[in-house]
Amino acid sequence: MKPVRSYLLALIATCASAFGQSESRLLLERLALAESDAYPAILEDLSNTGDSYISEFVDAWRVGEVYSHETESGDKLILVQVSEKFIRLTSGETMTLSEEEKESLEKNRPSRSLRRELKRITDTIDLSSPDADTRIAAALKLGLSQNLEYLKALEKRILLEESSRVVRGFEEAIAISLLANAGDASVLRDSIQRLGELKSLPSRDGIASILKGAEESGDAELARVCLTALGKIDGHQKVVENLGNLVRGFSLGSVLLIVAFGLAITFGLMGVINMAHGEFIAIGAYTCYQMNVVFERLFGAQSAAYQWFFWVSLPLCFLVAAAVGFALEKGLFRYLYKRPLESLLATWGLSMIFQQCFRLVFGAANVQVDTPQLLIGNFDLGGVSLSYTRVFIVAFAGIVILMTWILLSKTNLGLYIRAVMQNRQMASSLGIPVSRVNSITFAYGCGLAALAGAALSQIGNVGPSMGQAYIVDSFMVVVVGGVGNLLGAGISAMGIGTVDQFLQPMLGPVMGKILVFFAIILFLQWKPGGLFPARSRSMED
Amino acid sequence: MNLFRKLTGAIALLASIATLGAAETVKVGVLHSLSGTMAISETSLRDILLFTFDEINANGGVLGKKIEPVVVDGASDWPTFAEKAEQLLAQDKVAATFGCWTSVSRKFVLPVYEKYNGLLFYPVQYEGEEMSPNIFYTAEAVNQQAIPAVDYLLKEGYKKFYLIGTDYVYPQTTNLVLFEYLQSKGIPVENIGGGLRKDASGQVISAGKYTPFSHSDYQQIVAEIKAFAASGDACVINTVNGDSNVSLFKEIAASGLTADDCPIVSYSLSEDEFRSLPTKDLVGHLGCWTYFQSLDTPANKKFVKNFMTWLKTAPAGVQREGRVTCSPMVLSYNGVYLWKAAVEKAGTFDVDKVLAELRKGISFDGPGGTVTSQENHHLTKNVYIGETLEDGQFEILESFDNVYGEPFLKGTFK
Repeated sequence: MKPVRSYLLALIATCASAFGQSESRLLLERLALAESDAYPAILEDLSNTGDSYISEFVDAWRVGEVYSHETESGDKLILVQVSEKFIRLTSGETMTLSEEEKESLEKNRPSRSLRRELKRITDTIDLSSPDADTRIAAALKLGLSQNLEYLKALEKRILLEESSRVVRGFEEAIAISLLANAGDASVLRDSIQRLGELKSLPSRDGIASILKGAEESGDAELARVCLTALGKIDGHQKVVENLGNLVRGFSLGSVLLIVAFGLAITFGLMGVINMAHGEFIAIGAYTCYQMNVVFERLFGAQSAAYQWFFWVSLPLCFLVAAAVGFALEKGLFRYLYKRPLESLLATWGLSMIFQQCFRLVFGAANVQVDTPQLLIGNFDLGGVSLSYTRVFIVAFAGIVILMTWILLSKTNLGLYIRAVMQNRQMASSLGIPVSRVNSITFAYGCGLAALAGAALSQIGNVGPSMGQAYIVDSFMVVVVGGVGNLLGAGISAMGIGTVDQFLQPMLGPVMGKILVFFAIILFLQWKPGGLFPARSRSMED
Repeated sequence: MNLFRKLTGAIALLASIATLGAAETVKVGVLHSLSGTMAISETSLRDILLFTFDEINANGGVLGKKIEPVVVDGASDWPTFAEKAEQLLAQDKVAATFGCWTSVSRKFVLPVYEKYNGLLFYPVQYEGEEMSPNIFYTAEAVNQQAIPAVDYLLKEGYKKFYLIGTDYVYPQTTNLVLFEYLQSKGIPVENIGGGLRKDASGQVISAGKYTPFSHSDYQQIVAEIKAFAASGDACVINTVNGDSNVSLFKEIAASGLTADDCPIVSYSLSEDEFRSLPTKDLVGHLGCWTYFQSLDTPANKKFVKNFMTWLKTAPAGVQREGRVTCSPMVLSYNGVYLWKAAVEKAGTFDVDKVLAELRKGISFDGPGGTVTSQENHHLTKNVYIGETLEDGQFEILESFDNVYGEPFLKGTFK
């Protein structure tokens, strides 16, 4: 029986390879179905194959896209889920399963310890990946493991590398590995020196512990080398940190800006104290959520069309909130012009009504808005990483400003708006439809708030009281910038964001925030009108 | 005539049952926030308590008396908690109260319970350093959650620990204890991230990084964690509470840090919280509790099934869709049964006698395994470490059996 079986296995293997598959898939299936005591042997074989498919499979395995399926004849197969389809691991063919069979599929997942073993294998395989960044990351991980075997692999591989960036990455990995495997004192000193030149942050802990050892054993030469290297690494890290603070400040500033820009129009230009501004932000976020749900129902979460939900919801958010804003201006706000106290109370009440409505419709718990594929990931800017969602928000803030600037200064409507804001009676007597301009301006401000909500759904939570978290920041930005001045709002948002990010590392988020508020109070004592005190109707009334 | 006599007999019988029934109840208080910011977590505890009372009543009640719950709303407002506690004790004269979630609400009701000699069962993991004669802590003490989790991470070979939390009493105290514990395990101070604050004499008074409630900008902190984890073998101990976790985990996921590079173990996130979190971003990160819904035991399966069945006929106001069970819920459930057992042993509802029985040690086979009450008003129970799955459940990685609850830990690790 046994020879027959091995013959069969061999046959399957040849068939599989004929279809462009390799034995690694067979091994992976065995691994997925095996008991833990059989792992070492299979893993050994697996690492010898060096197939790049292993990384792909391990990723799918980790996130729960791998199932075991028992056929009618009692054989166990491993299936990989790719979008809505189930692919058989060993042959790569798509399986057609009945609903019952789909029900009976069992999720197969690797244990934590097995995953760690697999990680080693995939890292070694990734060393010869076609993607340069993957190669560098894998090299660094193997270097950090400080395993002699990997050191040899790294030293062999570096000779094949051409791009100077990758070579630097490999050099760093080798030098880190040598920290533990040098054997020779001069080799150790050289690699520490090299790490200092490479300004390698990952090696910092290793060098620091060597320094400690050197100080204890009285090796002055080694200690000096360590200190120079650490000085270089720390110096570079300081630069990266400051650069990072600047970038992050800009990104936080953009968040503040889009949140406050709608208010800069309704409060800044029109002079309406709108405490329900935060709830218009929430309207935007919930519209996004609703679109997410609708798209998931229509197209399924795996389809390409689903990825469009966010981009479709952006204009929709604007329209929904603008419509609500328009109706409220007609029904409520226009009775409140020039009555700040009443408008404070009425809009506060309005915000509570909105919050309760969100609770009734969407439930008290937070809801989740998915991130479209396009915005997942991050990029590295000289050691400072910035996620695509943050980049999107910076760009989005820019677009919103541009849009508003064009509207206000290049269109007839903008001319009307500016005229009405400066002198309502004069504008009216010149034939401008004042009440319609008021409605449109207010609706526009509300629409902008909703756009902010859509953007925020990508970085924070969406819940009934989410607006409350932003209302203070919004007023702060507008007041500091100078009521009635859009440019001022922009500059103040960026300024507050940057100051906040520079204070945070020194004082922590709690004290940092307190100090920012304190600084703003002092600033407003010095300049009560904000950065750019504007002469607008709201100031003269 | 015969029929008439039968009828009057039946009516008399019914009436006597009704009066008997009315007399034979015992009032029990339920003190949780049903509105405000904490409602989202605490409402689940109210639900599980109502379920437990129904279950006990269906099986004959306590000492032959049916439990009559008196549900009051603490409204996420701490003075309101104290007020409602006073109402429960002075006006309704409840035999016992099950309630509170945040440590600050417990601190507010503590003097009330001591003044009226009441009895409160507290079910949510907390920072310890407290032992009121009138409170029974079914909650996880620091050594039943934070410390086993750190032990597990140390065993897995992690050498650097970054501490982050929300700025209030529970995270601050827990992290101080962990700071001492990690040092006692040979972790040097420079490998404990998040920063230290010292008082004038050089004594460490705060360890780790803290953010206010509802903080939403975690860019800076995630950049710091990334630099901290650059040299490998690093993990994060997370005691951030509430909504902020959404922003934190979204930022972590976007920064490219994976659970394989740097796992995060969260002490305030259970299955119930996952209902409003981006679970996708949490996959692979760790949790540590004395109960997980995924526990594969007959007792737990029965408990989950019974609760789900009860939800279908639950009173109005109880959310029926998408419900899960979690550790604080099970600890509330255990508390009620321990109280019932103590009352039955003592043969009375008298607080002093019930507490005396609880101090002697009573065991109950709960959904998370056997729990035993201790002399120091805490419970001996099993502790589990779990890894988050994409469906918001945990896969259990490790369990520690019968861990003794020890509230006073500060200064004990040298």
